[in-house]
Amino acid sequence: MPPNDPVFQLEGLTVRAGDKVLLQDVSCDIQQGGMLCVIGESGAGKSTLLKAVQGFLPATCRRLVFTPSGTDITGAVPTHPGLPQTRWVMQDPLAALNPRLTLGASIQESLYRQNLTVQERKSAVLAALEDVQLGSEFYSRFPGQVSLGQAQRACLARALIARPKLIFFDEPLSALDALVQKKIARQMEVLRRKTQTAYLVVTHDLGFAAAYADKVLVLRMGQVEAYQPCDEFIAAPASPYAENLIEAARSLGTLSHASEAA
Amino acid sequence: MSEVLLQKGAKLPDSPLSRFKRRTGLVLAVLALGLCIGLWLTPYQPAQADFLNRLAPPEPAHWFGTDHLGRDIGTRLLYGAFWSLGLALVVSLAGLIAGTLVGLLAARSGSFPDALLMRVTDSFFAFPELIAAVAFAGLFGPSTVNLVVALSLVSWMKFARLARSLGLTIGERDFVIQARLNGLTDWLILWRHILPNVLPSLLVLWTSSWSRTILAVSGLSFLGFGVQPPTAEWGAMLLDGKPYMQTAPHIMIFPGLAVLVSVLAINLAGDRLRDVLAQTR
Amino acid sequence: MKYFLSRLPGLAFVLLGISLITFTLSYFSPGDRAEAIAHARYPEEIAFPPELLQAIRAEFHLEEPFWLQYLYWFGNVLRGDFGLSYASQTSVWDIFIGNLGETVTLSLTSLGLGLAVAFLLASLAVRHPGTWLDRAAVMLSSVGAAMPSYWLGLLLILGFAVHLGWFPSYGTGTPAHLVLPALTLAFWVMASQTRLLRSFMLEAANQPFVETLRLRGISESEIFFRHVLRHAMVPAVTMIAIDFASLLEGAIIVELTFARSGLGSLLAGSVLSRDLPMVMFLVMFFAVAYVVINSLAEALQAASDPATRTQEQRV
Repeated sequence: MPPNDPVFQLEGLTVRAGDKVLLQDVSCDIQQGGMLCVIGESGAGKSTLLKAVQGFLPATCRRLVFTPSGTDITGAVPTHPGLPQTRWVMQDPLAALNPRLTLGASIQESLYRQNLTVQERKSAVLAALEDVQLGSEFYSRFPGQVSLGQAQRACLARALIARPKLIFFDEPLSALDALVQKKIARQMEVLRRKTQTAYLVVTHDLGFAAAYADKVLVLRMGQVEAYQPCDEFIAAPASPYAENLIEAARSLGTLSHASEAA
Repeated sequence: MSEVLLQKGAKLPDSPLSRFKRRTGLVLAVLALGLCIGLWLTPYQPAQADFLNRLAPPEPAHWFGTDHLGRDIGTRLLYGAFWSLGLALVVSLAGLIAGTLVGLLAARSGSFPDALLMRVTDSFFAFPELIAAVAFAGLFGPSTVNLVVALSLVSWMKFARLARSLGLTIGERDFVIQARLNGLTDWLILWRHILPNVLPSLLVLWTSSWSRTILAVSGLSFLGFGVQPPTAEWGAMLLDGKPYMQTAPHIMIFPGLAVLVSVLAINLAGDRLRDVLAQTR
Repeated sequence: MKYFLSRLPGLAFVLLGISLITFTLSYFSPGDRAEAIAHARYPEEIAFPPELLQAIRAEFHLEEPFWLQYLYWFGNVLRGDFGLSYASQTSVWDIFIGNLGETVTLSLTSLGLGLAVAFLLASLAVRHPGTWLDRAAVMLSSVGAAMPSYWLGLLLILGFAVHLGWFPSYGTGTPAHLVLPALTLAFWVMASQTRLLRSFMLEAANQPFVETLRLRGISESEIFFRHVLRHAMVPAVTMIAIDFASLLEGAIIVELTFARSGLGSLLAGSVLSRDLPMVMFLVMFFAVAYVVINSLAEALQAASDPATRTQEQRV
């Protein structure tokens, strides 16, 4: 992938809740079509990072640049939730889909801001379903009638249909079976290359990060432990903590296993 | 593995909810049909007196006997269904709609209007239904309209409380966040996402509200504070027949039985609906 | 205690709301209040000179705007002055106290009787789950919840008073007069409480600790009486307190059905004779009693279960 200008730049993001510092001075950037994995144990501030960037949490940062929309905010992160031209795929696909709407209806909502005819919408949804390898019969199914993996594919379709420049993933695979995880991880990768959408993936799965990410950001208790290109991170982790993480993943076999998959 | 479970074109398993909907619809259709056929077949009018045949016990010409004016009790029971069940239906629907509006409004407005609305709800909630209805219907004059107004005034609070608490929890669910990120307006979110998910639980409450209101309507009419005789409301029929219950007990047995059976049926349907919803959740 | 204090402002607001609703009801009710007062003062007169009515209007602030009238009335209520009954020109409070006893007797007798039967039925049902006993208890409580109590009262009168002649049918006075009304109301208490007690006991019997006790070799009856019952008691007591309003409502219907004296007959009588001070007082009394008992029940629940302290108020 040719290195070009970053699509998303974050400098010095800090989130506080009362006296507690949830995130301290986090900086990162993502290239167009690139993938940044944010890694850390639970409570490290991964989800806080996502929420703060999306404007769901009050936060301060020195600079946040999101190129396609020209958003350039210095000082505070926007209070209005949601950066334009981004989408968010959540951890639990069944919680993220309204149980009383068909998958088709849920996916269509992603196109709400675009002025399309009913017919255009429907064909866009069908195309998006095909992209995530769901047949057209899923259009009229309810979330209760599909498996978790299919539901997560539908969420992926909902994110991609709007042709966003950046998708945030919040542990997109951790609710799924191992086999389904692998399939969907590959699907994500294929679609990223095809559409040149940048991904910001929060995960605790080091194997996934090693297999697909361009860059890795390791968080621990709100502090940045490492921020490196992925290969460099595997070969020479920037901190003892990151080294421990890699050791642990190696001894469990998840790292090598996932690397083969790539 | 579960990925391949649902093959293309495979028939989807019937959900308990859709089965419940179908069965309830069937039962309601049969009941409505029976009511219509009964009204069509019966040779009598509800107010048609026959002084030669007063207080007749059940017999082939009058399946449920006649009352003290010789009116056919069976016919009056059929007409009474519209009054007893219908008035209660109107009241409970008014409560459902008003309560849901108040509750959802409280849930999506800020903390101060929310607290204010809920304290107002609590204030209304404090008045026991029947007592408020007796006071209102009595002071403003016992009549059908006043009964409906009085019962409606005290029927919405439970719905408001439930709608508010459900609205608050559902408003924080992931799919609502997604809808907000997608730029849907608040009203659209309320209509598409919150209301459909709040409604099932509200419907369970509504069935119990309906059956309670049937008891209230017929009870208040029996006590003279509601529908007035000679209207063929079941409670009013009981009031009408009370002086003759020694000589002709059938006058009071059938209207009461009609109330009992309707309330029981609605309660059982409500219980079933609740169980079905608990399964699908 | 802290929990209770934190709810006091809300409680005060609710009481204020109750008074406002009550006053609004009476303010907009039809009829000339001055004339009603004049009738009460001079029962022999038929027509009243306009000057007299005018004087009464001035005395009772009847021509002031809504809010001022409300404040006059509310001030009196706060001072414990509920006014004179139009019908008898005696203090509303005294009449109320005179009628309270009958209603309390009826309610408590029925509550005791109904609870005893409910307890027995629920225990039997839970100790023999799935048997005909269990099903019968559930069915009985379903029927009881759907039973119009005035109709049940009439049936009892028909059976026990008219045909068997064991008990008097209508009226108040001897303990025998209490039997049929108490049975009627007790049937309703039994129905609603059997259902609740059964579900609470089932819930308690399905707790993990019961299995542990069973593994330790403790006998089924000891588990049930010492542990399950105790566990089910707290929610049951609160639910009974919360259902108190329904008990009062039931008592009123039953009183009117059996023509017993008591608060129900008092309310119905004063409503029909447009005795506004009496009606306002009774309506307020029921609402305030409901709020106070509910708050106590909630406080009790909060005290016994710390988890609810921070939770939303139950629906």
